[in-house]
Amino acid sequence: MKTNGWRLTETEWRSWLEGLLRAGKSVIAPVEENALRLFSPVTSAADVVVENYSNTQWSPKEFLFPRSEPLLFYRFRGDETELEDPGLDDKEQVLFGLRPCDVAGLGRLDDIFLGESADPFYEHRRKQTTVVSLACDKAEAACFCTAVGGSPAATEGSDVQLVPRAEAWLLQALTPRGEELIAGSASAWTPASAEDWRQAEEQRLGVEKTIERSPLSKDWAPRLEETFAQPLWEKLGQRCLGCGICAYVCPSCSCFDMNDEGNALCGTRCRSWDSCAFTRFTQHASGHNPRATRPPRYRQRVLHKFSYFPLEHGERFMCVGCGRCLKLCPVGLDIHQTVRAAVSKGTPGEGHQ
Amino acid sequence: MNGQRENLFRPQLMRIAQASEETPDVRTLRLEFRDGKAPPKFEWRTGQFGQFSVFGAGECVFTITNPPTRGGHIQCTFRQTGKVTSALRNLSLGQSVGFRGPYGNYFPMDDWRGRDLLFVGGGIGMAALHAPLQLALDRRADYGQILVLNGARTVADMVYKEEMKEWANTNGVTVVRTVDPGGETPDWDGEVGLIPNVFERLNPKPNGSIAITCGPPIMLRFMLLALEKLGFSPERVITTLENKMKCAVGQCGRCNVGRFFVCRDGPVVTAAQLKNLPADY
Repeated sequence: MKTNGWRLTETEWRSWLEGLLRAGKSVIAPVEENALRLFSPVTSAADVVVENYSNTQWSPKEFLFPRSEPLLFYRFRGDETELEDPGLDDKEQVLFGLRPCDVAGLGRLDDIFLGESADPFYEHRRKQTTVVSLACDKAEAACFCTAVGGSPAATEGSDVQLVPRAEAWLLQALTPRGEELIAGSASAWTPASAEDWRQAEEQRLGVEKTIERSPLSKDWAPRLEETFAQPLWEKLGQRCLGCGICAYVCPSCSCFDMNDEGNALCGTRCRSWDSCAFTRFTQHASGHNPRATRPPRYRQRVLHKFSYFPLEHGERFMCVGCGRCLKLCPVGLDIHQTVRAAVSKGTPGEGHQ
Repeated sequence: MNGQRENLFRPQLMRIAQASEETPDVRTLRLEFRDGKAPPKFEWRTGQFGQFSVFGAGECVFTITNPPTRGGHIQCTFRQTGKVTSALRNLSLGQSVGFRGPYGNYFPMDDWRGRDLLFVGGGIGMAALHAPLQLALDRRADYGQILVLNGARTVADMVYKEEMKEWANTNGVTVVRTVDPGGETPDWDGEVGLIPNVFERLNPKPNGSIAITCGPPIMLRFMLLALEKLGFSPERVITTLENKMKCAVGQCGRCNVGRFFVCRDGPVVTAAQLKNLPADY
């Protein structure tokens, strides 16, 4: 049944979450830990923190693409080796309270991991996952979702979306999966009115107006590719310290390393997050390194996200404008500014002094 | 995996059936399937590569050095350089290694029918030429004259010494061996000189022939210049890219040269393609 969605009190949506927990689902939601906002599995809906909720320190990608995970177990028996696939948890998980940019980040992970050679581990977790997004009622200084095709109330990729309003919370199910998630509770909720949604739309437009960063055009992808040999990369890249924080906090960065960890009897082949900012990311065993210094590594990061990826994946950037890398870069590198500087082939502007 | 999709990263278990020393640090292994026969549907094309693993040390990319005409097993030639290759060298006959693949594109051997073939390899780069050369020898009538130029830093570093004798004894095949100046021994009867220079001295005429060349980056750079100078069309000059890889299925993000993912779009490239790629290899 097509509805206008619902108008909920905070108590109502929290008790809905409580119900999901009781039904045995794993609920991952924003919480506050050591003064940081983080996504974490919760045991009670009361733990979920949505007040003054800016973006979490880490993106929620780790719940689909863990920081480190086993791909294979091996065990030695004389000259023989036995292999075993890791078991996968069948528990359903609800990712609750994701900002629309982080939901878009999951879409980029889908592009990478559910392509031609679909990753069985990611795919399994993705199937177990339902996404409840939380529209933004304000933007932070580093936010630029609208510059990369997003919006503070984008619904793409969400199964359910919750919209905070001054007096109430609006909720709508966007997919059959979302309908199913609210099925047990919706009968007790108050339907929202067309006026409620009109006001929500007004709120979205208001938030968008506060995002000042200018749009990055998808038509720039071929031009950016041509900047490969431009001196600007040397200039910008020299500032990069190669710490890798940008990749670790990024909701769409998906590069990984694979290593064996074990002892003389047995071990695990692990996959772990990695970053193109690291020296050894591309270093051959011979010592030859195609990206031997920081400038080509920084260029790789930017061009991958804004040129190579969109040219390959239907014009979507591999950046969702969450702003985490801007906030956390120790030397203030600003990917939005960099892209603009690169297409204008000029000197980097404000923010890059 | 609970009835899920097959684990992309689970290798086939192989047994080291034979090991031959090419040089003090290069070894060729013959790997047989642990269960004695290749799994159904296991096939590869000449020039494809695999991820070879030593459990406990990790995985390493090598080209499959035997062509499908010599199937039923897998062969690789590797130089002991890093962690995995050192561990691999420490394994004995009968011990287990992992193989996953084949991955990547391949040499368009069928398109080369009727043409002369020039194989120019430097050091361990020769390994990438081994499979297409053997295929051409196995289908000798399909191809014209074959030139093999195998170069190494020193006489001791020359790979496939024994096999070169066989190749040289095949009708229509010329084998030229060269070592870098200073790398020769008193009894050395091959050429002395850097590979691109020796190649230029040989002065082969392009005549529609295919030149396949592999070796260290610096040799490759000058080899491509030499080929261009001698009038070889860049579409008929073939090499392979060797970027670092982990997943081999286009996900881990490190083998790319611009938009070109070596694991998926390579490793085989023409000099014409290479000219259009950014200098990121």
